[in-house]
Amino acid sequence: MTTTPSRAQQAQSADPPRSDDTADEARRTAPSDPGPTASGRPEPPPDSTGGPAAGATTGPAPLAVFRAPGAAPTPPTPAPPGTRPDTPAGPGGQAAPPNPRPGQPPVDRPSGQYPTIPDGGSGAYPTVPRGHGDRSSGAYPTVPPNATPQAPRPPATGQQSGAYPTVPPPGPQPTTGQQSGAYPTVPPPGQTTAARPSSGQHSGAYPTVPPPGSRASGQQSGAYPTVPAGTGSAGAATSSPGPSVGVPPAAATTGRGAQTGTAGARGQRSGRGTASRGPATGGTAGREAATGGTAGRERAAGGKAGRKGKAARRQPTAAPPVDKRRMPKYKDRPAPMALAITEIAGHLTFTPTTVTAWYWLPEMRWAFRPDTEREAMIVAIAEQYAGLAGFRLHLRRTTKPFPADEWARVIDANTPHPLPTPPGAPSWSDHLVSAQRHLLQVNHAEGQTYLGITFARRTFKDNLVERLGALRGKGTGSQERKRAARMVGQFDEVLGAFGMRGRRVTPTELEWLIYRSVALCMDPPQLLSSIRNSEWEQSDLLALTEQIERYRTPYGSTVKLVNRLTGEERHACVLTVGRMEPLEIPERHEPWMHFHERLPWPMEISSHVDVLGPGDTFRNLEHRLRMIRSQQSDYVEHGMDVPPELERLARRALVVGDDMTTGLPLDASRVHGWHRIAIGGSTREECLERARALTKMYSRDMRISLQHPKNQDWLAREFIPGEPIANTGYVRRMPVKLFAAALPQGASNVGDRRGDLIGRTAGTSRRPVFLDLHFPMEVRERSGLAVFVSEPGGGKSTLVGGLGYLAARRGVQTTLLDPSGPLARICEMPELKPYSRVLNLTGSQEGTLAPYGLIPTPLRSHFADGPAGDREYEIGVSNARAERRMLVQDICSMLIPPQVTREASTAALLRHAARQVPAEETSTLDDVVRALRGTDDDGVELANLLLDAAEMPLARLFFGRPPESLTDPEHRDVLTVITMAGLRLPDLKIEREYWSAEEQLALPMLHTAHRLAVRRCYSGDMNARKMVGLDEAHFMEGWRSGRSFLVRLARDSRKWNIAGLVASQNPKDILGLDVQNLVSTVFVGRIAEDPEIAAEALRLLRVPRGVGYEAILGTLSTSDTASDRRLPYREFVMRDVDARVQRMRVDLSYVPELLTYLDTTPTQDRQEPVPAAAPGQEAGR
Amino acid sequence: MRLRTDDDIYRARLLYLGPPGYTLPFQLPYAQYGLFALLVPVFMLIHYAFTLTVDLFPAWEIALSMVATSLVFRYVDPDRPARMVLRTALTDWRRTREPRTERPEPSLVASRVRVRQELL
Repeated sequence: MTTTPSRAQQAQSADPPRSDDTADEARRTAPSDPGPTASGRPEPPPDSTGGPAAGATTGPAPLAVFRAPGAAPTPPTPAPPGTRPDTPAGPGGQAAPPNPRPGQPPVDRPSGQYPTIPDGGSGAYPTVPRGHGDRSSGAYPTVPPNATPQAPRPPATGQQSGAYPTVPPPGPQPTTGQQSGAYPTVPPPGQTTAARPSSGQHSGAYPTVPPPGSRASGQQSGAYPTVPAGTGSAGAATSSPGPSVGVPPAAATTGRGAQTGTAGARGQRSGRGTASRGPATGGTAGREAATGGTAGRERAAGGKAGRKGKAARRQPTAAPPVDKRRMPKYKDRPAPMALAITEIAGHLTFTPTTVTAWYWLPEMRWAFRPDTEREAMIVAIAEQYAGLAGFRLHLRRTTKPFPADEWARVIDANTPHPLPTPPGAPSWSDHLVSAQRHLLQVNHAEGQTYLGITFARRTFKDNLVERLGALRGKGTGSQERKRAARMVGQFDEVLGAFGMRGRRVTPTELEWLIYRSVALCMDPPQLLSSIRNSEWEQSDLLALTEQIERYRTPYGSTVKLVNRLTGEERHACVLTVGRMEPLEIPERHEPWMHFHERLPWPMEISSHVDVLGPGDTFRNLEHRLRMIRSQQSDYVEHGMDVPPELERLARRALVVGDDMTTGLPLDASRVHGWHRIAIGGSTREECLERARALTKMYSRDMRISLQHPKNQDWLAREFIPGEPIANTGYVRRMPVKLFAAALPQGASNVGDRRGDLIGRTAGTSRRPVFLDLHFPMEVRERSGLAVFVSEPGGGKSTLVGGLGYLAARRGVQTTLLDPSGPLARICEMPELKPYSRVLNLTGSQEGTLAPYGLIPTPLRSHFADGPAGDREYEIGVSNARAERRMLVQDICSMLIPPQVTREASTAALLRHAARQVPAEETSTLDDVVRALRGTDDDGVELANLLLDAAEMPLARLFFGRPPESLTDPEHRDVLTVITMAGLRLPDLKIEREYWSAEEQLALPMLHTAHRLAVRRCYSGDMNARKMVGLDEAHFMEGWRSGRSFLVRLARDSRKWNIAGLVASQNPKDILGLDVQNLVSTVFVGRIAEDPEIAAEALRLLRVPRGVGYEAILGTLSTSDTASDRRLPYREFVMRDVDARVQRMRVDLSYVPELLTYLDTTPTQDRQEPVPAAAPGQEAGR
Repeated sequence: MRLRTDDDIYRARLLYLGPPGYTLPFQLPYAQYGLFALLVPVFMLIHYAFTLTVDLFPAWEIALSMVATSLVFRYVDPDRPARMVLRTALTDWRRTREPRTERPEPSLVASRVRVRQELL
């Protein structure tokens, strides 16, 4: 190979050994995965970011999608479950709208994703074979792990995963043209490109060629038709058969920018060039020719790829001369400049003059915390900064893409037995894929905050040692590093304390920071987030900085950054903090460096500050004070009016000076520095528009003016660690408390990271919210009770239904109780239908709700062995008996007219009767009636009243023995929904005497139905996961048995691994103090009407009351009064098991059709009326 | 907590009112006089470069300096000192082509950074 591949290529090529053996082995490895097939859908992206080649830009994200193994492949459906991951809208801010409009198909956002692994084919980057259900994440060539033993679809003969370009044998091939060769391989003619099942994954090391028919012929992939190393001259030879087959070969993909289905225009143009030259040169689509051809062809293509051509020309070509007639636009680029940083050692960075120690600051919760806590936090951080007096700090905040695939991996690992998929329904793997797509689409980015402390100036000797060491390849001297290590120890102490809790960064994080600073506001390389085990060389990330080109316009207001590999083009502008008015943090304002996160696009922050101790600035201040005083006396001398501003400023200077000289270091220290915010956009207008939005938001809400200075390129350079400061203007001098109140590390995370995706946070930043209902029990060892509180229409039922669906999907035994009935429709979803059952109480047979049978007797095996276990067993048995008695008494009280209940003798008689009847599961209410008859006249009267009540058909549910099938002893059904269709729920505000007979029956039915729902959980394996969703729990208020039921549920939830979801409209009584300690997750929806309920809800959330959070509860899920459409989402304030409280928006739109099934609001196009559509039902929700 | 910056103190407008006993009809910041004093010799130099003569009373130069000073100080504010304005004007002037043209800047490359996993 005569050309010198670029370093990045070398990096890639370095990894898989370029030998024939490996290639063969790789070829032998089945590239297809056992999972659902990918149909590499080759569709051009709907909107392209307009790369320099002005064509479609990068393809989908790399490996971003994790597919669960073993899932049956689904037939290609209109929405193919393609493994082809959609292009994520990376956090660099896309042309995409921040909120994806509902109903849009997952859009390929062609953002410049970094070497993306395309599925289905035209990959720029070598992909790991998806053989063994492996989440092949790497864009980078990793040696394919063991050959996959099983593959439900053995790769079609045409597939190769080898490095070598191979000609697919002619003839019908089920998989079209998945080749992984670098060379233009020609799919045999007559091949359909339509259904492209999975096997687009080839594990090759090399870029692959998209089959030509698949996309418009105008597409080309990759700028450089490079031969992957190793093919060498053989490549030229092997490629010859390719073009000779006659079909115009698809473009050779280059080592770099090749795109997938969305294919970069550049490469394909080059490919076309290659193609045209190929046959002409007799099939020597050798690299040299291709390069030349490409260059020529690209120039011919209108100079769009001018830069590519020039870059192509940059590689020394040994062979046929370059077409000299048309010269590229730019004759030469300025030589790349190395950064000031010369070395990274541990957590230190070395520049020729300074040494900087870097620390990572974890995120701190800001929302929904009491003000005293917030102030304490700010003061603690200020003290830490004051302890760093005399040093220069560089505070950097950047973003990292959310590793969706890792999440999917975790959740899959935690789901040992997902629900098997009936034919025609989306499988578990499809479910995960759509969740990941949704995550990538909504574009969550996590912020990372780094603090660098510049502490040493390097002496001449140090520099000399380093230079000499560099000659020998060694770097900084060990003496110097030892000295530095000693000094750095003090920083660990200062920063590790309460407040910032910083820790040292790892070199990988530093590289990430440097790369993100060079590629400012561009899409971060997705693949980095998923590389865990490194076959990835450390310095590869830094090598990627070579690909970032920078442009500026004179007097320009933005800097343009272009990523040569992916073709992503980004305009970045840097704003600097100008004039700041006084702020009241935390009373009225938010932290001023955290405030920008309200906007949906990610931004970067860089602050260079000097921390000045007490004595340092006083001289300067005194000088200013004297100048002000002399100006004042000047005015007086000239007989003019002294502006009052001077007096005010002089007084202020006196106060500040006083603080500085006599105050504590906390009050005396000052922080002088520059604060910048960088904003990116895919076009210049978008970037400026965003800058304007940000400026307006800051000036309106925080009264901070952001300026847009001129020398943008210097400012953009300032973001990179180690680079000099851009200018001396816009220095902000502030007390250290104000700098601490900036709090860029404020966070808004809520939820665990291993559960189902239920939505995103709606506060300052947008993070995905995951909820695993069994996380509190299994990991945190707390109870599993989750409470949902909101007014009617707040979205509780939908959320409970959605969580029930997700749990059933994961194979968790789920029981939902929904008195109004809409949740029963979930059982009709195709993926749940064979495994679910609706139990309609109003149509059930006698004895379904027999109270004695509703409380299970504990078995001896549930307790530990030994005498302690014996004792517990006995206690459990007697508790169960007591509870049965209590329940029976309450049920009887509910069945008889309320006037009779209020008499004193009734309670005594019922107690007596309950005592008589043995409180075992086999007893029935008939026994109670018989026992009552045996007492005196009042008892007989009571018994007759009970029998009167028993005449109503619904009341027969309480009498008699429960039928066997009820408890579902074999646990065939994963999902059971208990409804009471047609039942009118009473209004609790009206006295019981005024209830109708049916409403009177509804109350005991609800009580017993709740218990029936939970009853199912007590049989079977104790440690198996179970879930119970109880709606309308506020009906239990006021009854002894009701509260004891909830307490027992909370306590048993940990022992039996039951996740209990309790939804209620009024948390006051039921969820009183003792139960509150047993609640792990709380969701509070919209509460706008009743301030008492709002106060109770805040108490559940453990959020301070009376400071204005009630108003927030009233503004949740507010719809726009100007619009006619229904609100597509619901908002909640969520408190998770780790006591994090955050406002979130529930978003289950990634599950197809779920929302239509759960839709409970009456609309005109609904065919069948909701059975409980009576007005009384509405109150019941 | 009420938090405010110290910048106000450094932003006080310090004006030259005039020599003791005589109040000038205009009040300008001291910095303008300084720039004016620097610009007059500069313009005299330019004049000399073209005509090789030096006026005794450089009226044109003084007028031009006054105009230039006021032009510069139109863009000066407490956060942007005069030297920054001048620097911006000079650098962007040097690289000016048509406004639409982009100039490639040297790209910043980190590939030569050595990475050490541990400090010692």
